[in-house]
Amino acid sequence: MTPRLSLSHIEKAFGAHKVLHGVSLTVQPGEVHGLLGENGAGKSTMLNILSGVFSADAGQINIDGASVTIGSPRAANLAGVAMIHQELQQVPELSVAQNIYLGAALRRAGGLLVDRAAQEAEARRLLAPLDASIDVTAPINSLRVAQRQIVEIAKALRANAKVIAMDEPTSSLTPTEFDRLVEVIKGLAARGVSIIYVSHKMDEVFRICQSATILRDGRLVARVDLPATPVAQVIELMVGRELSHVAHQSFATDKVLLQVKGLSRGRAVQDAGFTLHAGEVLGIAGLVGSGRTELLRLIAGVDSAEAGTVEVSGVAVGSGVRTRIKAGLGLVPEERKRDGIIRHRPVTSNIGLPAMRGFSRFGIIRRGKLKARSEELMQEVRLRPFDVSKPIGSFSGGNQQKAIIGRWLAADTKIYLFDEPTRGIDVGAKAEIYDLIEKLARQGRAIVVVSSELPEVIRVSDRVLVMREGRIAAELGTAEITEANIARHAIPAL
Amino acid sequence: MSAVLTSLPFLQRIKFRDAGTLLGLIIIGTVFAVLSPSFLTGPNLLNVLQQSSINACIALGMTLVIISGGIDLSVGPVAALTAVLGATMMVAGVPFIVAVAGALCIGMLCGFINGALIAWGGLQPFIVTLGGLSLYRALALIFTGGQPIFGLPDGFRALTNGTLMGVPTPVVIVAMLAICAWVILSKTPLGEYFMAVGGNPEAARIAGVPVTMTKLAAYMISGLMASVAAMILIGRLGAAEPTMGTLWELDAIAASAIGGASLMGGRGSIIGTLIGCVILGTLRNGLTLLNVQAFYQLLATGIIIIVAMLIDKATSGK
Repeated sequence: MTPRLSLSHIEKAFGAHKVLHGVSLTVQPGEVHGLLGENGAGKSTMLNILSGVFSADAGQINIDGASVTIGSPRAANLAGVAMIHQELQQVPELSVAQNIYLGAALRRAGGLLVDRAAQEAEARRLLAPLDASIDVTAPINSLRVAQRQIVEIAKALRANAKVIAMDEPTSSLTPTEFDRLVEVIKGLAARGVSIIYVSHKMDEVFRICQSATILRDGRLVARVDLPATPVAQVIELMVGRELSHVAHQSFATDKVLLQVKGLSRGRAVQDAGFTLHAGEVLGIAGLVGSGRTELLRLIAGVDSAEAGTVEVSGVAVGSGVRTRIKAGLGLVPEERKRDGIIRHRPVTSNIGLPAMRGFSRFGIIRRGKLKARSEELMQEVRLRPFDVSKPIGSFSGGNQQKAIIGRWLAADTKIYLFDEPTRGIDVGAKAEIYDLIEKLARQGRAIVVVSSELPEVIRVSDRVLVMREGRIAAELGTAEITEANIARHAIPAL
Repeated sequence: MSAVLTSLPFLQRIKFRDAGTLLGLIIIGTVFAVLSPSFLTGPNLLNVLQQSSINACIALGMTLVIISGGIDLSVGPVAALTAVLGATMMVAGVPFIVAVAGALCIGMLCGFINGALIAWGGLQPFIVTLGGLSLYRALALIFTGGQPIFGLPDGFRALTNGTLMGVPTPVVIVAMLAICAWVILSKTPLGEYFMAVGGNPEAARIAGVPVTMTKLAAYMISGLMASVAAMILIGRLGAAEPTMGTLWELDAIAASAIGGASLMGGRGSIIGTLIGCVILGTLRNGLTLLNVQAFYQLLATGIIIIVAMLIDKATSGK
């Protein structure tokens, strides 16, 4: 049988960083195929290449045996590929029918006017087998997420999609809504539409998919038949890379620096608590969306908690970022551009922000002192000598990250909260950031590291908390920190 | 002329963008100097500065607001309100020092209201101050019944009509305020906070910048500057009109933008804004000397603003 879709030997690099090494994937007509792998394994890049967001550096894409070039999202649509993103790409104020016909409006009066009536009738016809209860004239933002997803599927069908790729479609669905989605997916498959299903949730993958492609570090690891292959084996294929054997050295003392009790905020973080000692590096692992970032933001005071307390050296600390900073906490955020740097401002200003008063005398900033201290700090964080009076936006991600760390060093921060400390940073700078974390620990500071990269967590942590669905699911001591152990606690329903 | 410029240590430290604004001013000045013999004379140049001083006063506050990521459309009406209230106090016999202090406090209060709605209320600066634009104007009109207030004391008027070493006092007052604004922006933590909050409010918050207080401070300074401008103007005119200050906000925004302030926030310069004010003043003065109709003066102002922005875009890379 000619495969519906085949991607062969796809290669992709961003600059010097190669993210896909000759990955292949085949899907038969009417097959539901899982695309599995850890964060950073290359799933998103594959989907982006398939949907025309990126173009592959090498490799071939065939649909129904014919070679196709997918250079843009529009070309992907024309080739019969539709993508349903995790964050649905819809115009909230427009109606269901208008969203289904977005960019391809039905026209009348010689193309001058949009034929709303025809669009609504067609939309109704498309939605009938999927979910007849959806009102095609209702604005999209009045629908629940599950219904909006169905609308996206209808939109894909409107474009005569032969392949529909779904990226984490169930991340915000209830179990009942998931059951409904399973029915819809089975119906699509029965009509010969092929589905590529990306999910972290093993139970879903095993329930829906007939086969799966497993990626690890941008390489194809295996193609397995489901549900014939045991779950444990699939997980081992996903995470079982060689451990990076850099000897981890612990500087943990038994002096408690930070005590977090019962922190909660909505469903994102529920009753999270832990203790952190001086000189200790605590890793927080878990899937994307398990509440790790949210927990860090609650501790840093960036978001306010609905319940729970934060104590530093045994003293309860009030809410608000500034209070928490004064108490000795500092957040190194994941989204550096959005939450970290002030792009147009010099490195000195970025470093000095939390401690600007400390650098001032009689209300006037002592620029010389700020510059000298910035240069000193940059040497300490091993930033290659550079001009600290240049805008921070003109430096690489790694150097920006070091400057943000320098910011907290300048503010004499005791407890460092790192969120994905090496996201978007090249390999060389990564090792330096790890060394820096170790150095902070040696100096008796306390560090929390949230990371999606298991080797990173294992490399830097003395102890690891695993989060799952907003809760701390497990605490692993030094001896228990293994990829398999972390994965076992992080992945729901295992 | 360039030899003179580079020989001044102050100008050697001037930023690239400010140098560009200054170059624009020099070009415009040169054109007028060639076309009109009376342009490049001492009295006329002082006249230009004098005519620019009110706008410069407003624009100083406006620049700080714009740098912090906001905008203040209410400056003209705030000036009118403080003018009529201050004038009323003076006419009623309150010592003018007290009346002026009262008027400045009212200006800051108006700024505080704007800032509170923006910083605590989370409302958009454009809309809040657009509301303020109507609100403060209405208060001034209601309070006076639309009538001007005459009979300001001579002692007060002497303050703004005199000269200090040959320089008109309004120019001296605004120059001193400009030095204060420059010190605040480039020498104090508050200045760093303005830049940080305007450049990236979320990152600033996470880095421990008091975002709310910073925004409040910007609008309060803007309100204060509006009331200072009002005092200067009523001192010179000898009367306070509730309709004064119409379109002041636009001149101030134009001067800030010509001077390099980004309406996206995070960037701007006090020196640039001052030169921007003088460019606008020079344009009006020069065209008047050449007997060009007021309609064409407006046209020239519009063209200058757009040309300045185009040059800005072309030289800043993207």
